Amino acid sequence: MNVLHVLFKVDGTEYAMPAADVVQMESFTGATPVPGAPAHVAGLVQVRGRVIPVVDARARFGLPAGTPSLDSRVVVGQLGERTVGLLVDSAREVLKLDPRTIQPPPPMVVEGAKGFVRAVAQVGPRLVMLIDFPRVVGEEAADVDGQR
Amino acid sequence: MTGSGEFAEFLPAYLAEVDELLASAQKDLLSVEEAVRKGLAQPRAVRELFRALHTLKGLSAMVDVEPVVSLAHWMEASLRLADQAGGRLPESSVEPLVEGLRAIEVRVRQLGAGKAASPAPANLLERLEALGPQVLESAPRPGRRVVLDAEAAFASRLAPSEREQLEGGLAGGQRALRVDFVPSSERAAKGLNINTVRERVAKLADIVKVLPLSGAAAGGASLAFALLLITRAEDVTLLEAVGGPPARVLSLESTAPATPPGDVGAGTPEPPGAAVPGGAVLDEELDEPEVRRGGGLLRVEVSRLDETMEWLAALVVNRSRLTRAVTALTQAGAPTRELTAILQENGRQLRDLRSAILRLRMVRVGDVLERLPLLVRGLRRATGKAVRLELDVGDAELDKAVADRLLPALVHLVRNAVDHALETPEERQAAGKPVEGLVSLTCHTRASGQLVLTLRDDGKGVDAKAVAAAAKAPVPDSADALLDLLCRPGLSTRQEATSTSGRGMGMDIVRRIVVEQLGGELRMETRKGAGTTFTLSVPLTVTLMDAIIVECAGRRYAVAVGTVEELIDVAGVVRPAGADGVGLVERRGAAVPLVSLARLLDATAPADGAAGQGAKALIVRQRGDPVAFAVDRLLGQQEIVLRPLEDPLVRVPGVAGATDLGDGQPTLVLDLGALGAARAIRRKRAARAGEWVS
Repeated sequence: MNVLHVLFKVDGTEYAMPAADVVQMESFTGATPVPGAPAHVAGLVQVRGRVIPVVDARARFGLPAGTPSLDSRVVVGQLGERTVGLLVDSAREVLKLDPRTIQPPPPMVVEGAKGFVRAVAQVGPRLVMLIDFPRVVGEEAADVDGQR
Repeated sequence: MTGSGEFAEFLPAYLAEVDELLASAQKDLLSVEEAVRKGLAQPRAVRELFRALHTLKGLSAMVDVEPVVSLAHWMEASLRLADQAGGRLPESSVEPLVEGLRAIEVRVRQLGAGKAASPAPANLLERLEALGPQVLESAPRPGRRVVLDAEAAFASRLAPSEREQLEGGLAGGQRALRVDFVPSSERAAKGLNINTVRERVAKLADIVKVLPLSGAAAGGASLAFALLLITRAEDVTLLEAVGGPPARVLSLESTAPATPPGDVGAGTPEPPGAAVPGGAVLDEELDEPEVRRGGGLLRVEVSRLDETMEWLAALVVNRSRLTRAVTALTQAGAPTRELTAILQENGRQLRDLRSAILRLRMVRVGDVLERLPLLVRGLRRATGKAVRLELDVGDAELDKAVADRLLPALVHLVRNAVDHALETPEERQAAGKPVEGLVSLTCHTRASGQLVLTLRDDGKGVDAKAVAAAAKAPVPDSADALLDLLCRPGLSTRQEATSTSGRGMGMDIVRRIVVEQLGGELRMETRKGAGTTFTLSVPLTVTLMDAIIVECAGRRYAVAVGTVEELIDVAGVVRPAGADGVGLVERRGAAVPLVSLARLLDATAPADGAAGQGAKALIVRQRGDPVAFAVDRLLGQQEIVLRPLEDPLVRVPGVAGATDLGDGQPTLVLDLGALGAARAIRRKRAARAGEWVS
C-alpha cells in the first residue's frame, strides 16, 4: 500500500505530504499581505477564483527568509473545509512512499521541528520529512476541522 | 398614448406583471412549437398561452397601451380557437405568434424606458388576424368523426388531452371502452383490488383515466371505479381481467354518430360544449387566473430588500455599542449576568434575521434560465443547425445579484456552443453523430455554498491549434492552458464569426464575470469530436459594495464608500510631540487626528515619510469620532464584490475581506474604523508590556 506523496524543498531539506491532501500546485507571484495576521502567513493569493491564505514554510520553520524565484511553489492543501497554501522553495516530485520506510522522527528532529515533522521516510539515500500539515498551517485547524 | 401620464403610478406594477406573463408565454409557446413539430397537440400549453395573452390584453387595456392590446387580442383570438380544437395549432402559426410576443415585449420595454409604445406593425396584425381561420382549417377533422358518448365517458371530468387520446384511439381503429370495476371484500380476498385490476388491464389496454364513482354503481356497491381505455382486446378478456360481473364493459363511441364528415360546414367549428365537452374555456373561468398565478408569491422591489438590509446593519452597529456598554458595566462591577444572557440571545436573533433577509434575495435558477430556450430557438433559426437544449436545474436557488451577473455569461456560452461548437447536420451525419446537436445545462448546489453549473455540448470540441494560431501562441498542453488562451481579451477565430456570435462579448468577459465579479471558478474540458464541457462554480450569494480604491505604500486597498465621510487633501498637518506619529488636521474648524494608513498596516513604516507629502486622506468614524486616514493616492470609485476571508489565519479586525480589481491579485477591503481601533488597542497593550508589537 504505497501512498502517493508530494515532495517539496525548503532551505535544502526535503519534505512531503500526502498527495490526497494536495489540491494543486501553483507558481508563486507574490501574496497580498494581511496586516494583523500571524507572522508565518505570507498573505493572500487567488487560486482559480478563490482567495486563500498562504503560509510561508520558511517563516513557519524558523528559517531565514528566502527570495521568491521561478521555482517557488504554493502547495495548495485541503484541511477539511479549509483550503490553505504552503509556500515552499520548490516542488517538483511526486513519489510513492512505502509505509515500511516511514519511521517516527528521531527525538532531535522532533525538538527542532516544533512538531511539524510527523515522520521521516527513507527514499534511497535521501531522508524526507513528512510534515503534519494541519499543524504547520496553524493551531486553529483543530477547532475548525474537528476530526483531524 | 395620451393616457400614459394618467396611469403612470400603475406602470411599475403593470411592467412587473407583464414581464412575468411574457416569460411564461414564451415558455409555453416553445413547448407548443415543440409539439407542433412532432405533429402533436399541446392542450395545456396552448391553454396557458391563451390565458397569459388574455390577462396581458386585460392589463394593457387598463393602462391604455393600445398597441399591446391589439397584438394580444388577435393572438388570443386564434389561441382560443386552438384551445377549442384540443390544443392543436398549425405549424405556420408559430412564427407569427413568436413575432407577436416579441413585438409586445419591445413595446413593454419602451414603456419601461419611459417612452411611448410604438404602434403595432400593421402587417403583423394582419398575419395574426389571419391565424384564426388557419387554426380552424387545420383542426383535426378526421378525429372529429368519432364522437365520445359524453355520458358514458364522464366527459365533464376528462381533460382535453384525455378526450383527444380516446378519440384518437377510436379514429385509429381501436376501441374506446369504459370498464367498471366494483371492489368487494370477497374480491379483495382473491387479490382483486383497484391496483391489481389496473395492472391486469394495463396489459390489455392503454388506460387513459381511472375515475372513482360514488353512489349506486352497477352491482349495488357504494363505490366503484370506471377505467377508460383504448384497446384492441375483446370484451370477454377484459371482463375476465376485472373479475367478471358485476363489472361491465361499455363502449365510449357515441351511438348516435356525428354528422358525416362531408356535412360539416367547412371551417365551422362544432359548437363548444356539445361535441367538445369541457374543451372550451369559458370566460368566467378566466376571471380569476391571478389567484392561481399568485400562488402565495409576493413580488418585492430589490431596493426595498436592500433598505431592509441597511436597517439590519444599523441594528448590528447598535448591538455592538450595547455590547461595549455592557462590558463597561461589568468591568465597573455591576450585576450584568442577565443583561449578558439577553445580549447573547439578541445576537442569535440578529443572525437569524440576517439569514432570513438573505434568503429573501434568492431566486430560482430555473426562473433565471427561462430565457435560454428562446435563445436556442433563435439560434436554431439563425444557424440552420438542429439543436436541442436540455435544462436540468432542479430547484436550486441563488442570490439575485449573482443571477443577474451570471445570466450574460451563460447566454454567451450557449451561443458559442450552438454557433461554434456544434456542427451542421450534414457534418454530424458524416461523423456518425445524431443529427440533432445537444446542449445541456445542469446545476447543483455544493455544501460549501457554491452553485456548480455544467454546460455541455456534443459538438466538435475546441481546436487547440486553431486557438493557438489565432492567439499567436504555442499550442497549449492542457485544458486549463487552452482556456487561458481562449479567455485572452480580443481573441477571436474571426474567420468563422457569424451574425449571431463573434460579436458581443468574448470568453474573456465570461471569465471576468465568473472569476472576478463573482469570485467563482471557470473550468473547461474538451475532446476533439466529442464535445466541450464548461463548469462554472459561483457562490450562491455575493456582497456587492461601492468602494473607494486607494493606493498606499505601493498597494491598492478598497474602502466601502458608505463608511467614508469625506475625502480631503492633507495639508497643514500639526504633529504634536509624543503623539507617536499621529498628526492633526483642521477640518471645518475642528482638529481631526490624522493616521498614516501605511503606518497602520505596517508599523515599521516611517511615521511621517513620503506618505505625508501632498497626500489624500479619508475621514472615517472610529468609535464615533472622525479620524483621517492618510493614503498616497485616490484611484477611484467602483462597485466591488466583497469576498469574506473565512480562514481563521486571515480573519483579522479591520480587514472586511478581499476583492479582485482585475489583476488576479487579491486586494484587501479595509474597514478603516475597525482597523484603527484594533491598532490602538494593540498599541496600548504593547506599551503596557513594554515592547512593540508590529
